[in-house]
Amino acid sequence: MKVLATYNIKGGVGKTSAAVNVAALGARDGLRTLLWDLDPQGAASFLFRVRAKVKGGGRKLVKGRSDITDLLRGTDVEGLDLLPADFSYRHMDLALDSAGKPTRRLSRVLEPVAEHYDLVVFDCPPSISLVSESVFEAADALLVPLIPSTLTMRTFDQLDEFVAERVSHPPDIIAFFSMVDRRKRLHRQVVEAFPVDREDVARTAIPAATEVELMGIRRSPVVVDRPHSRAGRAYGALWAEVRARLGV
Amino acid sequence: MPLDVASRAYVVPAGVDADTLLAFLADRFDVAADQPVSADSTVYDTVDRRLRAAGVEARREGGGAKARLVLLEGAGAPPVVAPLDGPVRDRYLAPELPEGPLRDRLAPLLEERALLPLVELRTVSRSVRVRNQDEKTVVRLTLSTPAVVAVPDPPQAYTGGPRRAPDGPITLSTRVTVTGVLGYPRPLARVDEALAGELGLQEARRPLADEAIVALDGDPSGLGGSKVSTQLAADQRTDLAAVAVLRDLADITEANIPGTLADLDTEFLHDLRVSVRKARSALREMKRAFVPDELEPQRATLKWVQAITGDTRDLDVQLLDWPGLAARVPADRQAALEPVHVLVAEHRAAAAERLDAELQGPEFRKAWAAYREFLSDVEASAGEGDDEPADAARPIAWSAGRRIRKVYGAMVVMGRAIDDSSPADDLHELRKRGKELRYLLELFGGLWPAAVVKPMVKTLKGLQDVLGTHQDRAVQVESLRALGPELAKRPDGPNALLALGTLVDRLEHEQEEARSQFAERFAPFAAKDQRSLVDTTFRGAP
Repeated sequence: MKVLATYNIKGGVGKTSAAVNVAALGARDGLRTLLWDLDPQGAASFLFRVRAKVKGGGRKLVKGRSDITDLLRGTDVEGLDLLPADFSYRHMDLALDSAGKPTRRLSRVLEPVAEHYDLVVFDCPPSISLVSESVFEAADALLVPLIPSTLTMRTFDQLDEFVAERVSHPPDIIAFFSMVDRRKRLHRQVVEAFPVDREDVARTAIPAATEVELMGIRRSPVVVDRPHSRAGRAYGALWAEVRARLGV
Repeated sequence: MPLDVASRAYVVPAGVDADTLLAFLADRFDVAADQPVSADSTVYDTVDRRLRAAGVEARREGGGAKARLVLLEGAGAPPVVAPLDGPVRDRYLAPELPEGPLRDRLAPLLEERALLPLVELRTVSRSVRVRNQDEKTVVRLTLSTPAVVAVPDPPQAYTGGPRRAPDGPITLSTRVTVTGVLGYPRPLARVDEALAGELGLQEARRPLADEAIVALDGDPSGLGGSKVSTQLAADQRTDLAAVAVLRDLADITEANIPGTLADLDTEFLHDLRVSVRKARSALREMKRAFVPDELEPQRATLKWVQAITGDTRDLDVQLLDWPGLAARVPADRQAALEPVHVLVAEHRAAAAERLDAELQGPEFRKAWAAYREFLSDVEASAGEGDDEPADAARPIAWSAGRRIRKVYGAMVVMGRAIDDSSPADDLHELRKRGKELRYLLELFGGLWPAAVVKPMVKTLKGLQDVLGTHQDRAVQVESLRALGPELAKRPDGPNALLALGTLVDRLEHEQEEARSQFAERFAPFAAKDQRSLVDTTFRGAP
């Protein structure tokens, strides 16, 4: 089982969009895939039309007192299951803190179902917290969306440093440019200025596209609904890169 | 901890089509239906329907670069899929399947049998989704109407499937497969209640392939191997009982000829030979029920069939055993054995060609027709005339019982005489008698209580296993040694001969090991209580 987490300390950069599309593509490729919506906002759950509710809440789940198999929901994408969000996840830091070995807890939640899935995708909340640290410990790779801006590299380098220093088994980091509007000169400049030989940055950039914004209305990943659109093809290319890096 | 979701298939009664069923569902649930799609697939199984017996189904779907083999294991388990790279074959032995989970699942079922195409289907399917108030799919259904459109050409290449080709598409019963979605058990239960409870649909218990085969006059249980289960009555005339058994055995022989000629897998020839061997045994043991002048030509025919099939089978066994044989020499010498392997394969190809020519030749046709005629004549003339053969009219239980006692008694005497100084031939002869006894028990043992016959078969098997190993190793040693002169002339011949020498030593050692177990296996077979049981059970009426 490989674990991929979409992560950025900032919100609104395309984490959920990437998580749902990459998870859908994993399932389409025949990988048994689980998407865990860790964000109390529950956007990924909403997109898959699953109620953002976990019986017993996040506290019981991370303390190992819930049966995870009772909480999983099949999505409309065959081969893709979802562990939904819950509003109680907003207190997950506290729940982890009060449990032993907090940074190992998320991995432990997945242990009972590890043999049933080839790929697990975490859709992470925007924060730097105990939840994030637990995600970093559990993940084989972080998929980090970056909006092209002057401070992008600084944010990215800070994350890189944090993971390298604080995480016992640092995951691979795969950054990618997200919501790229090529009409904006700044976007073009930042993307083009990025060294092409940086291994931690994907070659594929996800465009700012109406199809992505409309996911919230259509409630379906763009790779399912509009696979041949510009955004659909871009997520497909991104997934190919990610899959090769993960070796799954 | 299973995460599979429940799935079941229902058969839709004739007169109810997919559109009607869809309307029924739409009346009760929020449904979304895709457009119907048509897809072709080929159902595969072994000639003896091993996959069917195991409750699984294999299909080839798609074409060209999208061709794949799909294994359906039922009960909601996700299908196991393997892409079919390269040209699609009409036969798959286990090692020829793509590596991966599908081969891992099928290899133990297939063993030496080939996966063969049975029927080609064209299925019009429609995916239907039952949705909840959020328009989320909570139950998946597939309405499918299959039709048999073709069978492999020619359909008589093996007799485990259809007996004729369809004149046009033959529509089979429409089925609806209902699959739950993880975490939504209640909607699934409601759909099941609607289909089974309200509409009265029955679960599809019969595999689709069976329905197709029956529609084409075939027997869905396939070819049954070389075991016969002829129904006999204890007081039946010996000649008629023997003919009934011989006729069943002849059917098996004939049924395995097409597969032997097409060289689909090695089991066809094996079953052909076993059926002939059993028939020879039955003729020998029941010879007093037949007129000698009429019997002898038939025994000669069967002996000849045994002889012409022997070489190919012996070489098949060597090739099948090859990985095990090669593993007997040290790892650094195994590669040197490859020229031996190649030579054995060449000999096998040549032997198979000779066998094909014999089986398709006029001599075999004539001899076999005469054999069949002999069986019919015996049946037609039974009870006529005053000079019947000595045992013809005796009850079969009497005849078979006497032979079982005699053969068993002879084995006890022969076995007791074997000691460490006895030549290997003595054990070979004992083994031959053991085969006679085994066949007598198999063909006629049903006339006696299983509680007596089964334990006897068990001790006999234990004895035959070591005698078999002993003789098989001797035969292997002899045939491998015979390759020596030819091998010496080949490139890498000297190296191969050295490795062969090591292999032969190992096989001879195993032969001796088997021999050392003889006394231990013979003891329960020849024990006093066993002798008494045989004497009392097989004497008189059962």
